[in-house]
Amino acid sequence: MVKFIIRRLGFMLLTMFIVSIAIFAISEIAPGNIARNILGPFATPEQEASFLAQLGLDQPLHIRYITWLVGSDWRAERLIGMPLRRIKKPDTEFYEWWAVEPDGTLVRWKLDGEDLIALRLQPDGTVQESLDNERWQTDEAGISTFWGVDTHNRAVMWEKGGGQTYWMRAKAAGWWVEQPGGAREYIPLQKGLLRGDPGESVKTGRPVGDALLRRLQNSILLAAIAFVIVMPLALVLGLLAGLNEGKALDRILSVGGLATTATPNFATGIFLILIFAVWLKWLPGATVFASERAAFENPKMLILPVMTLTLIELGYVLRITRASMVEVMNASYIRTAFLKGLPYWRIVFKHAIRNALMAPITVIMLHVNWLMGGIVVVEAIFGFPGLGRYLLDAALYKDVFAIEAGAMVMVMLAVGTQLVADIIYTFLNPRIRYA
Amino acid sequence: MERKQHKWIPELQEQLRQGKMSRREFLRYATLLGMSLTAAEALAACAPKATPTSPPATPTATSVPPTPTPAGPQRGGTLRIRGNVGRIDHPARYSWVANSNTTRHVAEYLTLTDENNITRPYLLERWEASDDLKTWTLYLRKGIKWNNGDDFVADDVVFTMKDWLDPDVGSSILGLMSYLQPTNIEKVDDYTVRLHLDSPQIAVPEHLFHYPAQIMNHRTFEGDFIKAPVGTGPFTLEEYSEGERVVLKRRADYWQMGADGQPLPYLDEIIYVDLGGEASAHIAAIQTGEVDVISEPDTEHFLALKDDPNLQVVGTPTAMTRVLRMRVDKEPWTDNRVRMALKLCQDHEKILKLAHFGEGLPGADFHVAPIHPEYCERAVPKYDPERAKALLAEAGYSEGLTVECAVCSDWADVVAYAEILKEDAAPAGFNIVLNTMPTSAYWDIWTECDLGITPWTHRPLGTMVLTLAYICDDEGKPVPWNETRWCDEEFTNLLKEAEGTLDVEERRKIMCKLEEIQYERGSVGIPYWRNVWSIAHKKVQDFKGHPTQYDLFNEVWLKA
Repeated sequence: MVKFIIRRLGFMLLTMFIVSIAIFAISEIAPGNIARNILGPFATPEQEASFLAQLGLDQPLHIRYITWLVGSDWRAERLIGMPLRRIKKPDTEFYEWWAVEPDGTLVRWKLDGEDLIALRLQPDGTVQESLDNERWQTDEAGISTFWGVDTHNRAVMWEKGGGQTYWMRAKAAGWWVEQPGGAREYIPLQKGLLRGDPGESVKTGRPVGDALLRRLQNSILLAAIAFVIVMPLALVLGLLAGLNEGKALDRILSVGGLATTATPNFATGIFLILIFAVWLKWLPGATVFASERAAFENPKMLILPVMTLTLIELGYVLRITRASMVEVMNASYIRTAFLKGLPYWRIVFKHAIRNALMAPITVIMLHVNWLMGGIVVVEAIFGFPGLGRYLLDAALYKDVFAIEAGAMVMVMLAVGTQLVADIIYTFLNPRIRYA
Repeated sequence: MERKQHKWIPELQEQLRQGKMSRREFLRYATLLGMSLTAAEALAACAPKATPTSPPATPTATSVPPTPTPAGPQRGGTLRIRGNVGRIDHPARYSWVANSNTTRHVAEYLTLTDENNITRPYLLERWEASDDLKTWTLYLRKGIKWNNGDDFVADDVVFTMKDWLDPDVGSSILGLMSYLQPTNIEKVDDYTVRLHLDSPQIAVPEHLFHYPAQIMNHRTFEGDFIKAPVGTGPFTLEEYSEGERVVLKRRADYWQMGADGQPLPYLDEIIYVDLGGEASAHIAAIQTGEVDVISEPDTEHFLALKDDPNLQVVGTPTAMTRVLRMRVDKEPWTDNRVRMALKLCQDHEKILKLAHFGEGLPGADFHVAPIHPEYCERAVPKYDPERAKALLAEAGYSEGLTVECAVCSDWADVVAYAEILKEDAAPAGFNIVLNTMPTSAYWDIWTECDLGITPWTHRPLGTMVLTLAYICDDEGKPVPWNETRWCDEEFTNLLKEAEGTLDVEERRKIMCKLEEIQYERGSVGIPYWRNVWSIAHKKVQDFKGHPTQYDLFNEVWLKA
């Protein structure tokens, strides 16, 4: 069993690896242009190019992937010739990158005309500026260059007097400015996922992890409530329908389940809003998170989303349970049990249910994953700040680090729930053993 | 007095007469609207007398007082708003109006352009421009406190302006105010700042209300407003969670007074909630009272909510439009007769009615809107396929003419406009083939296609958009956004003259000529000017719209 779990976890890592590559590749070929999304439609090709360079998005795909996976600081350290360190800015969620001098002082630079200015972080948190022109490296052609860390967490190569123009990263109604003092090359610094840094969202400029965590919490809450309501209900109703095959109860449950599942969730959601929120005015029609704990302060607002999810899920699991139950009840060993004269309920509980649950458990576990991140439509209808909406927004924006981080969470959930399903199998059917 | 008055002058005069406005305020506004001081004084004298009840420097006088309600504004309550809570750090770097809306009630601007498109002093007490429009003196209002207790002084203004113009900050204002160098911002004394411009500019007050121009406290601000949310505004920032919510709490010592003589605001709390991009969620939320206001509503919201008896849907006319643009360097649009023929095929009223639900004002084929202060009134051209046909024949297309029009299918009103035009232009002999494409594709070709329909946003002055899109530089090359390549020397020169004219009435005279030229030989059809909407629950009182969809809730209150 332990071996099996370890193997499963190994598979999970492999899956995550493959998925992460696939996502990078897909977002590369997918239509849309993140520069355009951020800069707006009036950006010129030069502005776009400058923007992409500043974010390191002009690098080839594999370099960007490696940066995402294992970071870019080691690459930059070689160019700068100094170790780099990431520190957390006190009292904020922001990180800053600094180069470390031999004596341990943290330093970074900015360019002022032709002068290189060193910014040294003092122990009391202030920054001291001083001229630092000795660092220019002059090559045979007489061009002075310098690799350093700038104030925007990038390793950059400046060229003395080269005065590359660059475009200010400011998207507003087309107001654009070309500035001298740009660097020749940029390497945005990050540690990489394997070292615990999923990167910064291009869209929000904030670490991906924080936003994702909040969304994950919301999604877990909604999914947990829906799960706790839907699954037992669907299983019980499915078993009842299966036991009463062909009778009125079975017909009602089967047809009813089919109807709720067949209705698209956006239609169900809107109908429920119209009936319960707009017409009867019993329930809130949208999940307005006016505070972090809004779902606990005003749990009524979760009723309609949960109801929508219940109606969608119910029929699906119900019908699978029913089919499975019908099949088991017609199996020869059950007939034998009846012939043996065992009491009906004893046959159902002792012999039938266990086997009948195998199929629904697989489906249910697959649906945990779906409830967490796949209910984009339901989240959108109710304005629910969940993981699905986060992923959708990120994908529409081509915010690749955010998509990657979200996708990694989803893969972990998918593989994790399947693992749980596999373990549950062994309890339902002792013949199943994993080596 | 023989000059034509600005259309708001009579209203101001009426307010003065009713005692809603002090004489001093009246004079200030009247002069802002381009009236000479002596004329304004004469008009003020026509009103019975200035109200003695208005104490000097009463801050409420900065805005037209709300229509008196029997009970007067009530205090208290939380206003919940559906908004977009995006990433922010340095206000000067804001790139969406939504960014500024969430912090607009914490940090404030030097000026205010109101819903009637009139710009007035706000944190400023007044301003003065030199005759050559190159020196602007800004006089700060005294006695304003930051929400941390500091005094609001000239250092704050100089500090903030230097940030706007600092390339490291990367503000869009840097481009907008390219006429100003950081070294030319002069602090005269603690309450006076003087700007020495490189070139004459009339729109300085409007630019000071550009949405990233929120004034920061020079003692506390370090580049991220969320870390040190110190502002002069009526609310303090309690929480800012991207993609989720913003919580603002009332402060007790705000500098503007309410109708009851106590400091504004009337509300205790404002909460912006981000409900994602799906309109149905916003609609359900406001219909069931989960939110009170929809910030920046769209056509979808308007259509779903316009008939809801519990809501107020306020339409505000803007200078936002859809421009039928013809490349004058491409056949057949090189011939002005063909351009005029196509323009004559527009039934402006019908297009407005069908494409934008009649919500707006009809255009008249020149790019100056009726709401612009210097607008010169001209009749809306009639739909005239007969004349269009004759013009086409004259130009050598008596057999008819097939043209292709680039249309972005994501903008419903553009599609509707294109379809109506296609039908209505057929009798004149035009066969318009609509080439539809998604938004990104259209923005790739918007300056390149021969015939297309381009959205243009609202700008507070008529001269601003004309300079962007309809002139050529000294070498005769079209400016970057001149999508039609239309160069007209007389037009360019007149426009320069208009830009150097501070007096609105004088500017209007030039504008009459500019409009005439653009209508007679220009390169664009302007079908209509779009309204934007503001949507709130009926209990939200003194709720107004704004052409740029700025949220202005200082004086909004909730009826219990």
